[in-house]
Amino acid sequence: MSSSGPDDAPDRDDGDETDPNPEDSWQGRADRALGRLVDASAVERILISLAALALSVVVGALVVLASGWVATCDSPFFAASGVGSFCYDPVAVYRVMLGGALFPSYNFALTLKETTLLLFTGLAVAVSFRAGMFNIGTQGQLVLGALGTALAVVWVAPVVPAGAVGGLILITVGLLAGAVVGGIWGAIPGALKAYADANEVITTIMLNFVASGIAFTLVSEVFKDPNSQTVQTRAVPEFARFQPVFFGESVFSFSAYALVGALALAGAIYWMLNGTSFGYDLRTSGVQPEAAEYGGVDAERTMVSSMALSGAIGGLGGAVYVLMVASRWRTGIPSLGFDGITVSILAGNNPLGVIPAALLFGALKTGSLSIEFQLAVPKQLVGVLRGLIILFVAMPEFFRMVGARFRFGEEQPSVATDGGGGTGGDSVEGTTDGPVGGQTDALDGETTDAAGDDRGGDDR
Amino acid sequence: MSYAGPSRKRRWLGGAAALVALVLVAVELFFPESPVSEIVRIVDANYVRAVLRLAVPIAFAALGGIFAEKSGVINIGLEGLLIISAFTSVAVAATIGGGSPTQLELWLGFWAAVLASVLFSLLFAVVCIEFKADQIIAGLAVWLIALGLAPFASKVIWGQVNSPPVATLNNFDLLVAEVNPPVVMMLVAVPAAWYALNRTAFGRWIEASGENPKALDTVGVDVRKVRYSGVLLSGFFSGLGGAGLALGRVGQFIGGGATMVNGRGWIGITALLFGNYNPLGAFGASFLFASLDALQIRLQQLGYSIPSELIGIIPYVTVVVVLAFVGHTRIPDAAGEHYESGEE
Repeated sequence: MSSSGPDDAPDRDDGDETDPNPEDSWQGRADRALGRLVDASAVERILISLAALALSVVVGALVVLASGWVATCDSPFFAASGVGSFCYDPVAVYRVMLGGALFPSYNFALTLKETTLLLFTGLAVAVSFRAGMFNIGTQGQLVLGALGTALAVVWVAPVVPAGAVGGLILITVGLLAGAVVGGIWGAIPGALKAYADANEVITTIMLNFVASGIAFTLVSEVFKDPNSQTVQTRAVPEFARFQPVFFGESVFSFSAYALVGALALAGAIYWMLNGTSFGYDLRTSGVQPEAAEYGGVDAERTMVSSMALSGAIGGLGGAVYVLMVASRWRTGIPSLGFDGITVSILAGNNPLGVIPAALLFGALKTGSLSIEFQLAVPKQLVGVLRGLIILFVAMPEFFRMVGARFRFGEEQPSVATDGGGGTGGDSVEGTTDGPVGGQTDALDGETTDAAGDDRGGDDR
Repeated sequence: MSYAGPSRKRRWLGGAAALVALVLVAVELFFPESPVSEIVRIVDANYVRAVLRLAVPIAFAALGGIFAEKSGVINIGLEGLLIISAFTSVAVAATIGGGSPTQLELWLGFWAAVLASVLFSLLFAVVCIEFKADQIIAGLAVWLIALGLAPFASKVIWGQVNSPPVATLNNFDLLVAEVNPPVVMMLVAVPAAWYALNRTAFGRWIEASGENPKALDTVGVDVRKVRYSGVLLSGFFSGLGGAGLALGRVGQFIGGGATMVNGRGWIGITALLFGNYNPLGAFGASFLFASLDALQIRLQQLGYSIPSELIGIIPYVTVVVVLAFVGHTRIPDAAGEHYESGEE
């Protein structure tokens, strides 16, 4: 009886009883190799994300085919007796989706606008996940942050001069209000986790429902725009909005200032995580809570502050939504928070990886409008793709098995021995950003898995 | 096994609830004209029936969650399974019934939905058990896929995210009262689940698979199979819950926003935590959450000028408060961990 325990997480290796005679059990050795494999190098993680994307595209195509078989239409793209008719052509769907995200130019502006918002929510989720906290509540933090922004700006607007200076003041006030409200709302589940041991997955989801209920009630009962039939606040003044650049003024207007700000925020968070002691504490708590505490990290404080920071970033997203998109708080805020989860997971919770992931999802969202408009394929298809991507990214083992069978064969484990994580990480570091110490890569690699494992192994 | 902390807190909560009930009864006796006693008078047989109907999806999700998690697989995708089955039940019934399904066609839709939910949970099980996916993230994916797929399919079939209304399952007469079929199923399933978990060999396997899979392996029981059956049972029960919600009470699929399921799967997870993985306790918690839901519906009917959205968040606030109090629930030791058999 070999004792190959579940050593799929590197931090569990020491807890395992050693095999009485390790020589005879190749499986035991394979398991240990696997444990190191899970400590995935950054290159491997990018490969897995790409493979997950590709697989989602394939499965999504099957969904399109199947739904086209169910749907009825005048001119199916393919029909055969005995099989039935297929209304939607998957290739055309993807072509239109991609094309619709880029052309015409106002669609591209729409894509960049979505990207900007998704950058905020993706970063918000990434920060919490890196700290080992599953913040599913970005949506609620964004909704309340947006309300805070709208109310603060409308309230301050009468006392500032109209024009560029007043606009700058109002935008600052709005961003601050959004961040503060979102941060407070995010700190609640953090505190509940830290001091009452309440599972943050559940509390953050519940608080999403609570947030939208509170915001709706506040607006409909207290802050309703008297000149409007629908539940919405007064509009923020024109000069307090992010001014559109490049694509001219239209309903699709998108502000390069907001995008640049979001990109700067991504850089700042990357630096915060990798270059500051707070970031180091945060990451070690995410990977190895016990070790972090032993090393002098105040676990409770880290939980609360990382969730507050995550909520504040989500709140900033809400502020930008108000100041760039909606001009006011109104019902039916899109599910940017949930998309942020996908963006972050696809990015391996890396703040710089969030940038391409947000761009991809921004494009998907804009493209989904085109597929509905041009091909009558429901735009909710993007929601399906979102779930599929998360599902496939969650199962790296699947891709390793496929990879081992078709490409790498035997030598794969040797790549993963101790040096592997470092070298793999360095090459990516070269492509993405400036030089960063090797020790961070080891942490980068294992965040998702270790955080998930912590969730399971720990009690709640 | 004694866990002084949580159980004392539970007793506290129970005591507080009893006190509130006592105060309400006193108000009813001494101040029959006050608005509070008007609310107290809501509680009658009809109210209890309404609560039981509202409890159906929550309690079934909780039962399913218990089996999955006790066997060692944390399934937070229950909400998604409820959505899938709610949609499938209406879609199948409406498709074979041509828009106005008969009772037989409704029942076909019902069981097709259970099957769909089981198949979906099989997918989740394969992903988690064979491919060692992170269970939390995979569960999240199940939820998000369902959240996208059901409205997508609704639009393909009906051209909008909501289905047209279909009939609901007929109540049947049982002794003195008319009863709702999904409610009866729930009232049978809860003690049955308790019995299966506490008095049968299968229950002991489930328990061992979550607590100490190696020991189970040692005595020659296939941990993988036990975990598969745990997850598939979670799909089965969630299927009953989702179809019971759609065909037993609402008679429609509503796909807008958070869909008609609207967080009930998540409340079910909280119910199982609150009930400490005991089917009877989880049912009690489901009943509590459902009664809050029923209360807010009644208050709206009575015309209280409290905004419905504000009352609507009461169950969710309760969940957060309950979690804050009960917080530390002991989950099975090996839940969330992968197990690889030593032999083969």
